[in-house]
Amino acid sequence: MTDIAITVNGELRKASVPSETTLLQLLRDNFQLTGAKLGCDVGDCGACTVIVDGAAVNACLMLAVQAEGRDIITIEGLANRQVFHPLQQAFEESGALQCGFCGPGVILSAKALLDENPDPDVYEIRDALAGNLCRCTGYTKMIEAVQNAARILRGEPEISSRMISR
Amino acid sequence: MKRRGRGIGCMWYPIGFTVAANPSAATVKVNEDGTATLLTGTVETGQGALTVLAQIAAQALGIATDDVHVVSADTDATPMDTGAIASRTTYVTGNAVRLAAENARTILFEAAADLLRVKPGQLEAKDRKIQVKGYPQRCVDIADIAGHAQTKLGQPPIGTASWNPPTVAMDPETGQGQPFSTYVYATQIAEVDVDDETGEVEIVRIVAAHDCGTAINPMLVEGQVEGGIAMGIGYALQEEILFDDKGRQVNPNLTNYIMPTSLDVPDIDVSIVSNTDPTGPFGAKGVGEPTSVPTAAAILNAIHDAVGVRVHSLPATAEKVLAAIKAKRAAEQRQIAG
Repeated sequence: MTDIAITVNGELRKASVPSETTLLQLLRDNFQLTGAKLGCDVGDCGACTVIVDGAAVNACLMLAVQAEGRDIITIEGLANRQVFHPLQQAFEESGALQCGFCGPGVILSAKALLDENPDPDVYEIRDALAGNLCRCTGYTKMIEAVQNAARILRGEPEISSRMISR
Repeated sequence: MKRRGRGIGCMWYPIGFTVAANPSAATVKVNEDGTATLLTGTVETGQGALTVLAQIAAQALGIATDDVHVVSADTDATPMDTGAIASRTTYVTGNAVRLAAENARTILFEAAADLLRVKPGQLEAKDRKIQVKGYPQRCVDIADIAGHAQTKLGQPPIGTASWNPPTVAMDPETGQGQPFSTYVYATQIAEVDVDDETGEVEIVRIVAAHDCGTAINPMLVEGQVEGGIAMGIGYALQEEILFDDKGRQVNPNLTNYIMPTSLDVPDIDVSIVSNTDPTGPFGAKGVGEPTSVPTAAAILNAIHDAVGVRVHSLPATAEKVLAAIKAKRAAEQRQIAG
């Protein structure tokens, strides 16, 4: 067993886990943060994406011990009881999720992008989401939603998704 | 070099099979606070079916979509539904929901006629009120009417209905008949760049025009079309299950079963063609499966337009496209030599 202390959504969390435990298992099984999904478990689908020290990471490919001392953001860290994060709000308003299984990972990949680049073009958004497979949406409304969220985060007036798509 | 081409694919698709029983049932209960509860056996899988069904119930009752609480997919509590299959939910379940809501509304009209001293046929449901047609100021709140119907008339406003697209046997002699209740139509146009040195196909843009009858929720219709096109792109260019000689799949994971990512799906321009079908709820038909039907045909036609080759086996991988281009060049060389 290995003792681990990491910051998850701004809170210091500790656990004692076998050394082969992945970050995804730690988050889901030890901390009950089930927003990050177990999809393929080999780093292909992106459903387990979380943010580690500012970068979008497949939590299924990172060992929990590698996360020691690092700062993790999961989908549970975005909204509070009063308000959604602008990305979540934009995803809802654009109808950007259908079954939603890929949603937490997609939104965190988008957040890592916007934290780094507040004004990405469409290609940069497509590139940032390329590791998150979605079988339902064709990504179209996700890209609109990321553009809309970026505008809100930059403090610019919101443009409805219907106007962007025309 | 990269060569640009455009191709068109058209399709029709059947909605509401009639060769066997295909029923859906629904119950709509109007509550004393003016909200409604809809019971349906169908399943939400992300397509937005429950939103559309709530919209249909709300429209029939003159209330807001947010006023409708949907209870779904619990076989202990909800009425029978044939299933979230065959692009049938909006059309078949939607008709059952519309009829159930109208049955509940009939009770509201009878109760309101009692209060407003008019005939039920003179009433309409609108803006959370039951009002006299042409005299909207003569009205009562649906919340009050629901209470009145229940406590004064002893008739709670609950409607239940089922709908089955009329089952018609096929002619056993000719095999002819009417196997489906209605049909939807679509055309998609693909614009592609084909690299004639590598055979790689890049999709530049897809334009899609779909007739789904009345689009009860245009944003959800667009979502279905965009998602269907992404699946169609995978079908056209990427997706293939490969087996070894023992029948074992050799590409059983997403590393080597390739499906479209955000970099493979181009800009998609969706046009919803205005139409109305008198047999559907508020004129609606369906939109699910049909969205991925014409995509591969449009893309393969665009490849032909770009480099003059027909690829007849899907997916049209770079290897197959390049082989077709080489075969075409060789045939042209032979022709010149001969």
